[in-house]
Amino acid sequence: MILTPKILVRLVALVLLAVILQLSFFSRVTLFGTSPDLLPALVVALGLLGGTMTGAVSGFAIGFLLDCLLIQPLGGGSLVLLATGYLAGLFRERFEIHSPLVPPLLCMALTLFAELGFGALSLMLGIDATVSTLVVRDMLIQSIFAFFLGWPIYLGLRRLLRPALVEEPTVRRGRRPTVLGA
Amino acid sequence: MYRKQVRRRRAVLALLIVGSFALLTITYGQGSNGVQRGVSAIFSPVQSIADQALKPARDLVNWFDKTFDARGKEARLQDELEVARRQAVGAKAALAENAQLTKLLELDRGGAIPSGYEPVTGRVIARAPSVWFSDVTIDLGSGDGVKVDDPVVNGDGLVGTVSAVTGGSSQVALIADNSSAVSAKVVPVGVQGVVKPNVGDPGDLILDFLDSTKHVRKAQAVVTAGWRGQDIASRFPPNIPIGEVTQASLFEQEAQQQVHIRPYADLVNLDVVQVLTGGWRG
Repeated sequence: MILTPKILVRLVALVLLAVILQLSFFSRVTLFGTSPDLLPALVVALGLLGGTMTGAVSGFAIGFLLDCLLIQPLGGGSLVLLATGYLAGLFRERFEIHSPLVPPLLCMALTLFAELGFGALSLMLGIDATVSTLVVRDMLIQSIFAFFLGWPIYLGLRRLLRPALVEEPTVRRGRRPTVLGA
Repeated sequence: MYRKQVRRRRAVLALLIVGSFALLTITYGQGSNGVQRGVSAIFSPVQSIADQALKPARDLVNWFDKTFDARGKEARLQDELEVARRQAVGAKAALAENAQLTKLLELDRGGAIPSGYEPVTGRVIARAPSVWFSDVTIDLGSGDGVKVDDPVVNGDGLVGTVSAVTGGSSQVALIADNSSAVSAKVVPVGVQGVVKPNVGDPGDLILDFLDSTKHVRKAQAVVTAGWRGQDIASRFPPNIPIGEVTQASLFEQEAQQQVHIRPYADLVNLDVVQVLTGGWRG
Protein backbone atom coordinates (compact mmCIF):
# COMPACT_ATOMS: atom_id res chain seq x y z
CA MET A 1 0.00 0.00 0.00
CA ILE A 2 1.35 3.43 -0.96
CA LEU A 3 0.67 5.74 1.95
CA THR A 4 0.15 9.31 0.83
CA PRO A 5 -1.12 12.00 3.25
CA LYS A 6 -4.54 11.78 1.60
CA ILE A 7 -4.73 8.01 2.08
CA LEU A 8 -3.53 8.38 5.66
CA VAL A 9 -6.34 10.86 6.39
CA ARG A 10 -8.84 8.45 4.87
CA LEU A 11 -7.50 5.60 7.00
CA VAL A 12 -7.62 7.64 10.22
CA ALA A 13 -11.16 8.83 9.48
CA LEU A 14 -12.21 5.27 8.69
CA VAL A 15 -10.75 3.91 11.92
CA LEU A 16 -12.42 6.63 14.03
CA LEU A 17 -15.76 6.12 12.31
CA ALA A 18 -15.57 2.34 12.70
CA VAL A 19 -14.72 2.49 16.40
CA ILE A 20 -17.52 4.98 17.14
CA LEU A 21 -19.97 2.93 15.09
CA GLN A 22 -18.92 -0.25 16.90
CA LEU A 23 -19.30 1.21 20.39
CA SER A 24 -22.46 3.20 19.76
CA PHE A 25 -24.30 0.85 17.42
CA PHE A 26 -23.01 -2.67 16.82
CA SER A 27 -22.11 -3.40 20.46
CA ARG A 28 -25.54 -2.27 21.58
CA VAL A 29 -27.71 -4.29 19.25
CA THR A 30 -28.36 -7.96 19.86
CA LEU A 31 -29.00 -10.46 17.12
CA PHE A 32 -29.42 -14.11 18.06
CA GLY A 33 -28.26 -13.28 21.56
CA THR A 34 -24.99 -11.58 20.71
CA SER A 35 -23.62 -8.36 19.23
CA PRO A 36 -21.72 -8.16 15.95
CA ASP A 37 -18.07 -7.16 16.20
CA LEU A 38 -17.10 -5.05 13.20
CA LEU A 39 -13.53 -4.26 14.21
CA PRO A 40 -11.72 -7.59 13.66
CA ALA A 41 -13.34 -7.80 10.20
CA LEU A 42 -12.11 -4.27 9.43
CA VAL A 43 -8.59 -5.11 10.58
CA VAL A 44 -8.62 -8.27 8.45
CA ALA A 45 -9.77 -6.31 5.40
CA LEU A 46 -7.00 -3.75 5.96
CA GLY A 47 -4.45 -6.54 6.32
CA LEU A 48 -5.68 -8.23 3.15
CA LEU A 49 -5.44 -5.01 1.17
CA GLY A 50 -2.29 -3.53 2.65
CA GLY A 51 -0.18 -6.44 3.87
CA THR A 52 1.36 -7.33 7.22
CA MET A 53 2.49 -3.85 8.25
CA THR A 54 -0.79 -2.13 7.43
CA GLY A 55 -2.71 -4.91 9.18
CA ALA A 56 -0.52 -4.86 12.27
CA VAL A 57 -0.37 -1.06 12.62
CA SER A 58 -4.09 -0.57 12.03
CA GLY A 59 -4.89 -3.42 14.45
CA PHE A 60 -2.70 -1.81 17.10
CA ALA A 61 -4.29 1.61 16.54
CA ILE A 62 -7.87 0.31 16.60
CA GLY A 63 -7.19 -1.75 19.73
CA PHE A 64 -5.55 1.20 21.44
CA LEU A 65 -8.45 3.51 20.63
CA LEU A 66 -10.94 0.89 21.77
CA ASP A 67 -9.15 0.42 25.09
CA CYS A 68 -8.97 4.20 25.58
CA LEU A 69 -12.67 4.73 24.95
CA LEU A 70 -13.75 1.76 27.06
CA ILE A 71 -11.34 2.83 29.83
CA GLN A 72 -9.87 -0.66 29.95
CA PRO A 73 -6.23 -1.59 30.60
CA LEU A 74 -4.32 -0.40 27.54
CA GLY A 75 -2.51 -2.90 25.37
CA GLY A 76 -4.86 -5.90 25.46
CA GLY A 77 -7.02 -4.91 22.51
CA SER A 78 -3.94 -3.65 20.65
CA LEU A 79 -2.12 -6.96 21.04
CA VAL A 80 -5.03 -9.11 19.88
CA LEU A 81 -6.00 -6.93 16.91
CA LEU A 82 -2.33 -6.45 15.94
CA ALA A 83 -1.96 -10.22 15.66
CA THR A 84 -5.24 -10.43 13.72
CA GLY A 85 -4.15 -7.77 11.21
CA TYR A 86 -0.70 -9.30 10.87
CA LEU A 87 -2.11 -12.76 10.09
CA ALA A 88 -4.47 -11.29 7.48
CA GLY A 89 -1.53 -9.44 5.91
CA LEU A 90 0.57 -12.58 5.97
CA PHE A 91 -2.16 -14.41 4.09
CA ARG A 92 -2.18 -11.70 1.45
CA GLU A 93 1.60 -11.85 1.04
CA ARG A 94 1.75 -15.64 0.85
CA PHE A 95 -1.34 -16.56 -1.15
CA GLU A 96 -3.35 -15.25 -4.07
CA ILE A 97 -6.95 -14.31 -3.41
CA HIS A 98 -8.62 -16.32 -6.15
CA SER A 99 -12.14 -16.60 -4.85
CA PRO A 100 -14.47 -13.82 -3.70
CA LEU A 101 -15.25 -16.03 -0.70
CA VAL A 102 -11.72 -15.71 0.66
CA PRO A 103 -12.11 -12.27 2.38
CA PRO A 104 -15.35 -13.14 4.22
CA LEU A 105 -14.05 -16.57 5.19
CA LEU A 106 -10.86 -15.04 6.48
CA CYS A 107 -12.87 -12.39 8.36
CA MET A 108 -14.85 -15.21 9.94
CA ALA A 109 -11.81 -17.26 10.92
CA LEU A 110 -9.80 -14.32 12.23
CA THR A 111 -12.75 -12.87 14.17
CA LEU A 112 -12.92 -16.21 15.95
CA PHE A 113 -9.16 -15.97 16.46
CA ALA A 114 -9.54 -12.44 17.90
CA GLU A 115 -12.31 -13.54 20.27
CA LEU A 116 -10.20 -16.49 21.41
CA GLY A 117 -7.34 -14.04 21.85
CA PHE A 118 -9.48 -11.77 24.04
CA GLY A 119 -10.53 -14.83 26.01
CA ALA A 120 -6.96 -16.05 26.45
CA LEU A 121 -5.89 -12.59 27.56
CA SER A 122 -8.75 -12.38 30.07
CA LEU A 123 -7.88 -15.79 31.46
CA MET A 124 -4.20 -14.86 31.72
CA LEU A 125 -5.06 -11.64 33.53
CA GLY A 126 -7.26 -13.68 35.85
CA ILE A 127 -10.99 -14.28 35.66
CA ASP A 128 -12.23 -15.08 39.15
CA ALA A 129 -15.54 -16.43 37.91
CA THR A 130 -17.05 -19.36 36.09
CA VAL A 131 -17.18 -19.17 32.31
CA SER A 132 -20.47 -20.10 30.64
CA THR A 133 -20.47 -22.40 27.65
CA LEU A 134 -22.57 -19.71 25.97
CA VAL A 135 -19.29 -17.90 25.34
CA VAL A 136 -18.51 -20.50 22.68
CA ARG A 137 -21.92 -19.97 21.05
CA ASP A 138 -21.46 -16.19 21.12
CA MET A 139 -18.00 -16.43 19.59
CA LEU A 140 -19.29 -18.64 16.78
CA ILE A 141 -22.22 -16.32 16.09
CA GLN A 142 -19.86 -13.33 16.04
CA SER A 143 -17.72 -15.17 13.50
CA ILE A 144 -20.77 -15.79 11.32
CA PHE A 145 -21.65 -12.10 11.57
CA ALA A 146 -18.06 -11.33 10.51
CA PHE A 147 -18.54 -13.52 7.43
CA PHE A 148 -21.49 -11.39 6.33
CA LEU A 149 -19.84 -8.11 7.31
CA GLY A 150 -16.49 -9.07 5.78
CA TRP A 151 -17.41 -8.89 2.13
CA PRO A 152 -18.99 -5.38 2.09
CA ILE A 153 -16.19 -4.09 4.32
CA TYR A 154 -13.54 -5.54 2.00
CA LEU A 155 -15.19 -4.17 -1.13
CA GLY A 156 -15.82 -0.77 0.45
CA LEU A 157 -12.24 -0.51 1.67
CA ARG A 158 -10.84 -1.55 -1.71
CA ARG A 159 -12.83 1.21 -3.32
CA LEU A 160 -11.81 3.75 -0.69
CA LEU A 161 -8.12 2.88 -0.85
CA ARG A 162 -7.89 2.12 -4.58
CA PRO A 163 -5.30 4.83 -5.39
CA ALA A 164 -2.98 3.37 -2.76
CA LEU A 165 -3.24 -0.30 -3.64
CA VAL A 166 -0.18 -1.71 -5.33
CA GLU A 167 -1.56 -4.75 -7.12
CA GLU A 168 -4.97 -3.36 -7.92
CA PRO A 169 -5.57 -3.83 -11.67
CA THR A 170 -6.76 -0.73 -13.46
CA VAL A 171 -10.30 -0.88 -14.75
CA ARG A 172 -10.56 -0.17 -18.45
CA ARG A 173 -13.38 2.07 -19.40
CA GLY A 174 -14.50 3.75 -22.58
CA ARG A 175 -13.90 2.81 -26.19
CA ARG A 176 -12.10 -0.36 -27.14
CA PRO A 177 -8.83 0.28 -29.04
CA THR A 178 -9.10 0.18 -32.82
CA VAL A 179 -7.00 -2.47 -34.51
CA LEU A 180 -5.36 -0.98 -37.59
CA GLY A 181 -5.93 -2.87 -40.78
CA ALA A 182 -8.90 -4.80 -39.54
CA MET B 1 17.19 -2.70 -0.38
CA TYR B 2 14.73 -5.58 0.10
CA ARG B 3 16.59 -6.80 3.20
CA LYS B 4 16.54 -3.33 4.65
CA GLN B 5 12.79 -3.18 4.12
CA VAL B 6 12.30 -6.56 5.78
CA ARG B 7 14.43 -5.48 8.76
CA ARG B 8 12.39 -2.29 9.11
CA ARG B 9 9.13 -4.26 9.02
CA ARG B 10 10.36 -6.65 11.67
CA ALA B 11 11.48 -3.75 13.83
CA VAL B 12 8.07 -2.07 13.59
CA LEU B 13 6.30 -5.32 14.41
CA ALA B 14 8.56 -6.00 17.38
CA LEU B 15 8.01 -2.43 18.58
CA LEU B 16 4.24 -2.81 18.40
CA ILE B 17 4.28 -6.12 20.29
CA VAL B 18 6.63 -4.81 22.97
CA GLY B 19 4.54 -1.63 23.14
CA SER B 20 1.36 -3.63 23.69
CA PHE B 21 2.89 -5.67 26.49
CA ALA B 22 4.40 -2.55 28.06
CA LEU B 23 1.04 -0.74 28.00
CA LEU B 24 -0.68 -3.77 29.46
CA THR B 25 1.89 -4.06 32.23
CA ILE B 26 1.85 -0.38 33.08
CA THR B 27 -1.90 0.24 32.94
CA TYR B 28 -3.35 -3.05 34.21
CA GLY B 29 -5.39 -2.52 37.36
CA GLN B 30 -4.85 1.24 37.44
CA GLY B 31 -8.30 2.46 36.39
CA SER B 32 -8.06 5.40 34.03
CA ASN B 33 -4.85 7.18 33.03
CA GLY B 34 -3.95 10.47 31.38
CA VAL B 35 -4.11 9.16 27.82
CA GLN B 36 -7.53 7.61 28.37
CA ARG B 37 -8.82 10.74 30.08
CA GLY B 38 -7.65 12.84 27.12
CA VAL B 39 -9.07 10.54 24.46
CA SER B 40 -12.29 10.18 26.42
CA ALA B 41 -12.64 13.95 26.80
CA ILE B 42 -12.35 14.35 23.04
CA PHE B 43 -14.62 11.48 22.08
CA SER B 44 -17.34 11.64 24.76
CA PRO B 45 -19.35 14.37 23.00
CA VAL B 46 -18.98 12.56 19.67
CA GLN B 47 -20.11 9.30 21.27
CA SER B 48 -23.10 11.01 22.89
CA ILE B 49 -24.19 12.44 19.54
CA ALA B 50 -23.62 9.09 17.80
CA ASP B 51 -25.56 7.36 20.57
CA GLN B 52 -28.56 9.61 20.09
CA ALA B 53 -28.37 9.54 16.30
CA LEU B 54 -28.11 5.76 16.09
CA LYS B 55 -30.81 5.02 18.67
CA PRO B 56 -33.64 4.55 16.12
CA ALA B 57 -31.52 2.15 14.08
CA ARG B 58 -30.51 0.27 17.23
CA ASP B 59 -34.10 0.01 18.38
CA LEU B 60 -35.12 -1.35 14.99
CA VAL B 61 -32.50 -4.10 15.03
CA ASN B 62 -33.28 -4.96 18.65
CA TRP B 63 -36.99 -5.08 17.82
CA PHE B 64 -36.30 -7.70 15.14
CA ASP B 65 -34.19 -9.71 17.56
CA LYS B 66 -36.80 -9.57 20.31
CA THR B 67 -39.61 -10.52 17.92
CA PHE B 68 -37.61 -13.48 16.69
CA ASP B 69 -36.78 -14.47 20.26
CA ALA B 70 -40.40 -14.07 21.42
CA ARG B 71 -41.66 -16.56 18.84
CA GLY B 72 -39.38 -19.20 20.32
CA LYS B 73 -40.46 -18.37 23.85
CA GLU B 74 -44.18 -18.51 23.19
CA ALA B 75 -44.64 -22.21 23.91
CA ARG B 76 -42.60 -22.05 27.09
CA LEU B 77 -44.51 -18.99 28.28
CA GLN B 78 -47.81 -20.81 27.75
CA ASP B 79 -46.63 -23.55 30.11
CA GLU B 80 -45.40 -20.98 32.61
CA LEU B 81 -48.75 -19.20 32.43
CA GLU B 82 -50.55 -22.39 33.43
CA VAL B 83 -48.29 -22.78 36.44
CA ALA B 84 -48.69 -19.10 37.32
CA ARG B 85 -52.48 -19.40 37.20
CA ARG B 86 -52.39 -22.24 39.71
CA GLN B 87 -50.00 -20.30 41.93
CA ALA B 88 -52.15 -17.17 41.78
CA VAL B 89 -54.64 -18.67 44.23
CA GLY B 90 -51.92 -19.35 46.75
CA ALA B 91 -50.41 -16.00 46.07
CA LYS B 92 -53.45 -14.21 47.50
CA ALA B 93 -52.73 -15.76 50.88
CA ALA B 94 -49.14 -14.67 50.55
CA LEU B 95 -50.05 -11.07 49.81
CA ALA B 96 -50.12 -10.07 53.44
CA GLU B 97 -46.77 -11.71 53.99
CA ASN B 98 -45.51 -10.05 50.84
CA ALA B 99 -46.44 -6.62 52.16
CA GLN B 100 -44.41 -7.31 55.30
CA LEU B 101 -41.50 -8.53 53.22
CA THR B 102 -41.66 -5.45 51.06
CA LYS B 103 -41.40 -3.31 54.19
CA LEU B 104 -38.63 -5.48 55.54
CA LEU B 105 -36.63 -5.40 52.35
CA GLU B 106 -37.34 -1.78 51.56
CA LEU B 107 -37.27 -2.75 47.93
CA ASP B 108 -37.38 0.50 46.20
CA ARG B 109 -38.93 0.21 42.80
CA GLY B 110 -40.25 3.74 42.77
CA GLY B 111 -36.94 5.54 42.56
CA ALA B 112 -36.32 6.26 46.27
CA ILE B 113 -32.65 6.20 47.07
CA PRO B 114 -30.95 4.94 50.24
CA SER B 115 -30.14 7.78 52.61
CA GLY B 116 -26.69 9.29 52.19
CA TYR B 117 -26.58 8.67 48.46
CA GLU B 118 -27.19 11.23 45.78
CA PRO B 119 -28.32 9.75 42.48
CA VAL B 120 -27.04 11.13 39.19
CA THR B 121 -28.80 10.02 36.05
CA GLY B 122 -26.84 9.21 32.91
CA ARG B 123 -26.98 7.33 29.67
CA VAL B 124 -24.96 4.42 28.31
CA ILE B 125 -22.90 5.66 25.37
CA ALA B 126 -20.73 2.65 24.56
CA ARG B 127 -20.40 -1.02 25.24
CA ALA B 128 -17.45 -3.41 25.01
CA PRO B 129 -17.70 -5.51 21.84
CA SER B 130 -16.05 -8.68 23.15
CA VAL B 131 -18.12 -11.42 24.78
CA TRP B 132 -15.46 -11.63 27.48
CA PHE B 133 -16.10 -8.21 28.98
CA SER B 134 -19.35 -6.79 30.35
CA ASP B 135 -18.43 -3.15 30.62
CA VAL B 136 -20.35 -0.12 29.49
CA THR B 137 -19.31 3.50 29.22
CA ILE B 138 -21.69 6.14 30.55
CA ASP B 139 -21.81 9.87 29.92
CA LEU B 140 -21.15 10.82 33.56
CA GLY B 141 -17.69 11.59 34.87
CA SER B 142 -15.83 13.09 37.79
CA GLY B 143 -17.40 16.44 36.85
CA ASP B 144 -20.77 14.99 37.85
CA GLY B 145 -19.47 13.78 41.20
CA VAL B 146 -18.95 10.20 40.10
CA LYS B 147 -16.16 8.27 41.82
CA VAL B 148 -14.68 4.84 41.41
CA ASP B 149 -16.72 2.12 43.22
CA ASP B 150 -19.98 4.09 43.17
CA PRO B 151 -22.93 1.71 42.73
CA VAL B 152 -24.92 1.93 39.51
CA VAL B 153 -28.61 1.02 39.29
CA ASN B 154 -31.48 1.30 36.86
CA GLY B 155 -35.25 1.09 37.35
CA ASP B 156 -35.10 -2.69 37.74
CA GLY B 157 -32.24 -3.09 40.17
CA LEU B 158 -28.48 -3.22 40.55
CA VAL B 159 -26.48 -2.83 37.36
CA GLY B 160 -22.83 -2.67 38.49
CA THR B 161 -20.15 -0.38 39.88
CA VAL B 162 -18.07 2.42 38.47
CA SER B 163 -14.64 0.96 37.73
CA ALA B 164 -12.88 3.95 36.15
CA VAL B 165 -13.67 7.64 35.86
CA THR B 166 -12.58 10.39 33.49
CA GLY B 167 -13.77 14.00 33.33
CA GLY B 168 -16.85 13.38 31.20
CA SER B 169 -17.37 9.63 31.17
CA SER B 170 -17.04 6.56 33.34
CA GLN B 171 -16.63 2.87 32.86
CA VAL B 172 -19.18 0.70 34.62
CA ALA B 173 -18.28 -2.92 35.31
CA LEU B 174 -21.63 -4.68 35.15
CA ILE B 175 -22.54 -7.37 37.66
CA ALA B 176 -22.06 -9.81 34.76
CA ASP B 177 -18.43 -8.69 34.27
CA ASN B 178 -15.67 -11.11 35.20
CA SER B 179 -14.32 -8.66 37.77
CA SER B 180 -17.62 -8.30 39.63
CA ALA B 181 -18.47 -9.68 43.09
CA VAL B 182 -21.43 -8.36 45.09
CA SER B 183 -22.22 -9.35 48.67
CA ALA B 184 -25.88 -10.26 48.71
CA LYS B 185 -28.60 -11.92 50.73
CA VAL B 186 -31.61 -14.00 49.84
CA VAL B 187 -34.92 -12.82 51.20
CA PRO B 188 -36.84 -13.82 53.20
CA VAL B 189 -34.46 -16.55 54.44
CA GLY B 190 -31.62 -14.11 54.98
CA VAL B 191 -28.88 -16.40 53.68
CA GLN B 192 -25.86 -14.38 52.61
CA GLY B 193 -23.52 -15.00 49.72
CA VAL B 194 -21.58 -13.37 46.92
CA VAL B 195 -23.14 -12.75 43.51
CA LYS B 196 -20.61 -13.62 40.84
CA PRO B 197 -20.94 -13.65 37.07
CA ASN B 198 -21.21 -16.60 34.75
CA VAL B 199 -18.94 -15.10 32.09
CA GLY B 200 -20.57 -15.02 28.67
CA ASP B 201 -24.14 -15.35 29.97
CA PRO B 202 -25.37 -12.00 31.31
CA GLY B 203 -28.78 -13.50 32.05
CA ASP B 204 -27.38 -15.97 34.56
CA LEU B 205 -25.48 -15.01 37.72
CA ILE B 206 -24.23 -17.28 40.47
CA LEU B 207 -24.90 -16.68 44.15
CA ASP B 208 -21.88 -18.35 45.68
CA PHE B 209 -20.54 -19.17 49.18
CA LEU B 210 -24.00 -19.86 50.62
CA ASP B 211 -24.62 -21.41 54.00
CA SER B 212 -25.52 -24.94 52.90
CA THR B 213 -27.58 -25.60 56.04
CA LYS B 214 -30.24 -23.09 54.96
CA HIS B 215 -32.07 -23.91 51.78
CA VAL B 216 -32.76 -21.33 49.15
CA ARG B 217 -35.76 -21.83 46.88
CA LYS B 218 -36.57 -20.89 43.31
CA ALA B 219 -38.15 -17.43 42.75
CA GLN B 220 -36.81 -15.98 46.01
CA ALA B 221 -35.43 -12.46 45.69
CA VAL B 222 -31.76 -11.57 46.05
CA VAL B 223 -30.79 -8.10 47.28
CA THR B 224 -27.55 -6.42 48.21
CA ALA B 225 -26.37 -7.24 51.74
CA GLY B 226 -24.86 -3.81 52.34
CA TRP B 227 -22.84 -4.83 55.40
CA ARG B 228 -20.75 -2.37 57.37
CA GLY B 229 -17.94 -3.04 59.82
CA GLN B 230 -15.89 -0.68 61.95
CA ASP B 231 -13.55 0.53 59.22
CA ILE B 232 -14.81 -1.30 56.22
CA ALA B 233 -18.10 -1.48 54.34
CA SER B 234 -19.67 -3.01 51.29
CA ARG B 235 -19.59 -0.82 48.17
CA PHE B 236 -23.34 -1.25 47.90
CA PRO B 237 -26.09 0.12 50.10
CA PRO B 238 -28.39 -2.55 51.51
CA ASN B 239 -31.54 -3.92 49.89
CA ILE B 240 -30.99 -2.94 46.27
CA PRO B 241 -32.72 -5.65 44.22
CA ILE B 242 -30.30 -7.79 42.23
CA GLY B 243 -32.36 -10.65 40.84
CA GLU B 244 -34.37 -13.75 41.59
CA VAL B 245 -33.32 -17.34 42.10
CA THR B 246 -33.88 -19.41 38.97
CA GLN B 247 -32.14 -22.68 39.84
CA ALA B 248 -31.72 -23.91 43.38
CA SER B 249 -31.07 -27.62 43.36
CA LEU B 250 -30.30 -29.17 46.73
CA PHE B 251 -27.27 -30.92 45.26
CA GLU B 252 -25.77 -27.66 44.00
CA GLN B 253 -26.48 -25.90 47.30
CA GLU B 254 -24.93 -28.61 49.45
CA ALA B 255 -22.04 -29.63 47.20
CA GLN B 256 -21.08 -26.28 45.70
CA GLN B 257 -22.85 -23.85 48.02
CA GLN B 258 -24.32 -21.94 45.12
CA VAL B 259 -27.57 -21.21 43.27
CA HIS B 260 -28.27 -19.49 39.96
CA ILE B 261 -30.05 -16.16 39.76
CA ARG B 262 -31.44 -14.04 36.94
CA PRO B 263 -30.71 -10.33 37.26
CA TYR B 264 -33.72 -8.02 37.35
CA ALA B 265 -31.92 -5.46 35.20
CA ASP B 266 -31.63 -6.24 31.48
CA LEU B 267 -27.84 -6.03 31.32
CA VAL B 268 -27.71 -6.44 27.55
CA ASN B 269 -29.96 -3.53 26.64
CA LEU B 270 -29.07 -0.85 29.16
CA ASP B 271 -29.89 2.71 28.33
CA VAL B 272 -30.58 5.04 31.27
CA VAL B 273 -28.80 4.34 34.55
CA GLN B 274 -28.31 6.08 37.89
CA VAL B 275 -25.01 6.37 39.69
CA LEU B 276 -25.43 6.53 43.47
CA THR B 277 -22.80 9.07 44.41
CA GLY B 278 -21.61 10.23 47.80
CA GLY B 279 -22.15 7.04 49.75
CA TRP B 280 -20.26 5.95 52.83
CA ARG B 281 -16.80 4.73 51.85
CA GLY B 282 -15.36 3.64 55.14
